[in-house]
Amino acid sequence: MPLISVRVRDLAPRLLAVALFLGSGVLVHSQEAPYFVTYDHHLEEPGNLEIATWSTIGVPRDGQKLFFAPFSEFEYGVTARWTAELYLEGQATSGDGAVFTGWRLENRFKPLKREHRINPILYFEYENINEATKILKEVVGNAEISGERNADLARVHAHELEAKLILSSNFHDWNVSENFIVEKNLSKSEGFEFGYALGVSRPLSKLASGEECRFCRENFNVGAELYGGLGTTNGFGFHETAHYLAPVVSWQVSDNSSIHFSPSFGLTDVSYPILLRFGYAYEIRGFGSKVARWFGGKQ
Amino acid sequence: MRWSLLAALCASTFVLSQNVNYQQDAKWKAPEDAAAKANPLANKPQLAGGGRKLFRRNCVECHGDSGQGLKKAADLQLPIVQAQSDGTLYWKITNGNPDHGMPSFSGLPELQRWQIVLYLRTLRNSETAK
Repeated sequence: MPLISVRVRDLAPRLLAVALFLGSGVLVHSQEAPYFVTYDHHLEEPGNLEIATWSTIGVPRDGQKLFFAPFSEFEYGVTARWTAELYLEGQATSGDGAVFTGWRLENRFKPLKREHRINPILYFEYENINEATKILKEVVGNAEISGERNADLARVHAHELEAKLILSSNFHDWNVSENFIVEKNLSKSEGFEFGYALGVSRPLSKLASGEECRFCRENFNVGAELYGGLGTTNGFGFHETAHYLAPVVSWQVSDNSSIHFSPSFGLTDVSYPILLRFGYAYEIRGFGSKVARWFGGKQ
Repeated sequence: MRWSLLAALCASTFVLSQNVNYQQDAKWKAPEDAAAKANPLANKPQLAGGGRKLFRRNCVECHGDSGQGLKKAADLQLPIVQAQSDGTLYWKITNGNPDHGMPSFSGLPELQRWQIVLYLRTLRNSETAK
């Protein structure tokens, strides 16, 4: 008992340090959409870096195991029409081990200069991951809920390319977004996988109050998203595919940080019954110019 | 003497920190119908406080705390900016000018963008006061 207490005491400061590190980000763009899976057409502001930590908890059906899949996101506004992101992800399963599941590099481009009724964004992602990945940043193809151990799954690597056509519209204060996804695993001789994500959201208040307040209605964004797989080139459609319906909420905690939460409900037998998602994002404004100054740049 | 020297120093620092050399992008023009739009909050000046908060969150990184302009961003106090119609400013906030680094702020609710326009007009007053 004393030994255990000492270990907990030793661990506590380290866990606190990790928590402070994760929470030490900076700010998030105001009115950032509350979606977890769906993308809208709003890109990161040029020169800003958003650091975020997201998690997906999968609540299992009988015979499955609870899993926890966290991932970190580093999103940088390269220009006003180009945003790049790096993801690092991991996964832990109840009664099994925890593994690092890989990284992803994502780019989003805005082809049109001005706002239109429907605003397209082109999305390209390279994924260097393994089969233990469960962050479910998107759902494509047919559902595969594996019972294999993490150690075995982590040995199977996958190099994947993913493209999305993002269409997004603002109607007054509502955002409506549609994403069409195609993914190709370059490590296997299998076809293309397809998926979709749809989202609708709006802020709770149209006006900003003049007061400094954390709990003002304008700091909350609410909505819902629907996402799932559409099979593969070997069998396009809804057969054996997972689909989720998820209310989403985000809270702008400060000028540059926000908290996001969403419970996703599985709609088919091969979906996880519930996915609990939460995240914290912090935006460092002018990161690019700060770094440039460190290296003697003019910006 | 010391105080006047300090005041002169502060004033010169403020003036030097302004982006008075800002040149408008001639191609960045609001369509006529957008430029002609009136600010629906024009008769509610008390809402400019919310605009100031939004300005601080979204604009100061490039335009500076008092809109004096930093880097390539416009000095929002300049007559060349203040002479533009409310509709034009609203359109520019909404669409941005991505090739010149100004992002779109269409993610903000419409009325909040109008609140920012309302606040920008208070910067004109501070310019006049100078």
